[in-house]
Amino acid sequence: MLNPGERSTCAMPRTGMTPVLRGVRLVKTYGDGDSRRVVLHECSLELYPGQLVLLMGPSGSGKSTLLAVLSGLLEPDAGQVLVDDEGQFRDLWQMNAAERENYRRRHTGFIFQGYNLLPALTARQQLEVVLHWCGDRYDVRRRVDELLERLGLLKLQGKKPAQLSGGEKQRVAIARALVKNPNFVFADEPTSALDWENGQRVMELLQAAAHDRRAAVLVVSHDHRLLPYVDVYYHLEDGYLEERGLPA
Amino acid sequence: MRYALQMLWHERARYTAGVLAVAFSAVLIALQVGLLLGLFKITSIPIDYTSADLWVGSTAVPSVDLGKPIPKTFLSRLAGLPGVSMPEMYIANFANFTKPTGGTELCFLLGSLLDDNAAGALTLLTKEQRDALTMPFAIIVDESDVRRLGLHAPQGQKPKINGKEVTVVGTVRGLKSLAAPWVFCSLYTARQLLGPLLPSDHVTYLLARCESPERAREVARYLRERYADDMTAYTAEEFSFGSRWYWLTRTKAGLAIGYAAFLGLIVGMVITAQTLYSATVANAREFAILVALGVPRWRIAWLVVTQAFWIGVIGISLAYPVCLGLKYLALQFATDVDLRWQILAGTAVLTVAMALLSGLFALRSVRQIEPMTLLR
Repeated sequence: MLNPGERSTCAMPRTGMTPVLRGVRLVKTYGDGDSRRVVLHECSLELYPGQLVLLMGPSGSGKSTLLAVLSGLLEPDAGQVLVDDEGQFRDLWQMNAAERENYRRRHTGFIFQGYNLLPALTARQQLEVVLHWCGDRYDVRRRVDELLERLGLLKLQGKKPAQLSGGEKQRVAIARALVKNPNFVFADEPTSALDWENGQRVMELLQAAAHDRRAAVLVVSHDHRLLPYVDVYYHLEDGYLEERGLPA
Repeated sequence: MRYALQMLWHERARYTAGVLAVAFSAVLIALQVGLLLGLFKITSIPIDYTSADLWVGSTAVPSVDLGKPIPKTFLSRLAGLPGVSMPEMYIANFANFTKPTGGTELCFLLGSLLDDNAAGALTLLTKEQRDALTMPFAIIVDESDVRRLGLHAPQGQKPKINGKEVTVVGTVRGLKSLAAPWVFCSLYTARQLLGPLLPSDHVTYLLARCESPERAREVARYLRERYADDMTAYTAEEFSFGSRWYWLTRTKAGLAIGYAAFLGLIVGMVITAQTLYSATVANAREFAILVALGVPRWRIAWLVVTQAFWIGVIGISLAYPVCLGLKYLALQFATDVDLRWQILAGTAVLTVAMALLSGLFALRSVRQIEPMTLLR
């Protein structure tokens, strides 16, 4: 459970809502001895469905580390990541590797700065391959069609990454992250390689993913221009996490 | 399967080395074995160039040139069997050839009946040549052995065999020899030339035609079982293959060829494994995001193995025409490469297996895929 007295515990419970993810007193250090560096110092936060959360901080402050810990990619040294798994809260890091992989398969989507689209596949196939390889073969064509249409990608569905602009590639990457209809979307610097116009478009899509699809979206960025798009804003610096108010 | 092929095609430049390595291995294997079998076809020429379906000889005779005398009376064992023609006698034995120019050479004497329907008559002989061979002490040799036997103008030359003068009445073409030149003659001439080396009431083989290949197999099996103590029987196909196989294994040539083919396989495997490995590593970030999204690693491993399979298939598809082209080229130099379907199929199985093994070796690249590398 959260400890409101702690300095790094800044997430405020949302009235009438149950969080879908709770990061509790998360600690992560890198290095040994003199080179030991605490990246996360008992950080706690909660993610709620339908919220777009922005995690900001200076370069090297541990934003990506926190995202990795929360998403099940990097094990913390201490603390818990409690996730809502079929109505029951379980610590993601108490699950075995197969359970964690299974959890990620069912509930999480990822977006990274590098689009990392498979160069041989068309935009449509980038989505289909996720469903096919995750063993989620139900009505693949219709689901992919719907998502492509909603994200304005139908015209691009037959194109390969080499034929797409940076903004278009990132939209395909977002569609890939959303195609499983995940409960969580973790986005690491999703706009930093894009011009502001495309960056805005990406944020609108992430906003829609949160508000329309009721996903909990966590965006890691150092770009202050994203603030108007988000519902909650966290700041991470020197290993300490705090929730900050949004500009009016 | 579809994604594997699509990725292979998209990055065809990268995979070319692997495909060429597989094709190289396949060509090497098929040609090595084909050349060897082609070479050892020489050992079964007496069988392959007669029209007999059934060969009866001494017990456990391993090769046509190693037959021991059997009694003529064994003719009665074949005579009257349903679906089998009237059996005939055949003589095959080594003899000493004295060249007209001086010096001697070991030769292999083959004596058969020469009438139109004779099962043991050489199929390459013209009617005129068969007629000429009916003259006592007339012989025919292959063109390729003319110089070896010191017969500079073969027609009418009078060398000696086992000390008895013979007359060369013609030549045939395409019946190369290995250890000893073939010398074709009538049954009568062969018996006269061999003299006491072959008892008068013995021959080397009994030959017969059968109404069908199935019948030949049945009769051969029956005779082998019925008279296991003092003779054996083979179909022409069995005896031909047996003769080649005997010399292939006896001379250890198979071992040498196997070693060369193994080296070819290793080269192909290393290059293919490295190609697949580097291709997977090059796409590591793309695969890493799939792993982050929960795609099991075995899916990516399966993709690599499937790509290996297709590399094998494409390599084989390229190798076959090359093999056939090289076979044709070899023929221009009077060298036979025996690329029968069993060799081509065996090569395909071996090469695809090698490609799959390469895929398994390349799987260490999948272990290196790490979603954390995607984070800044």
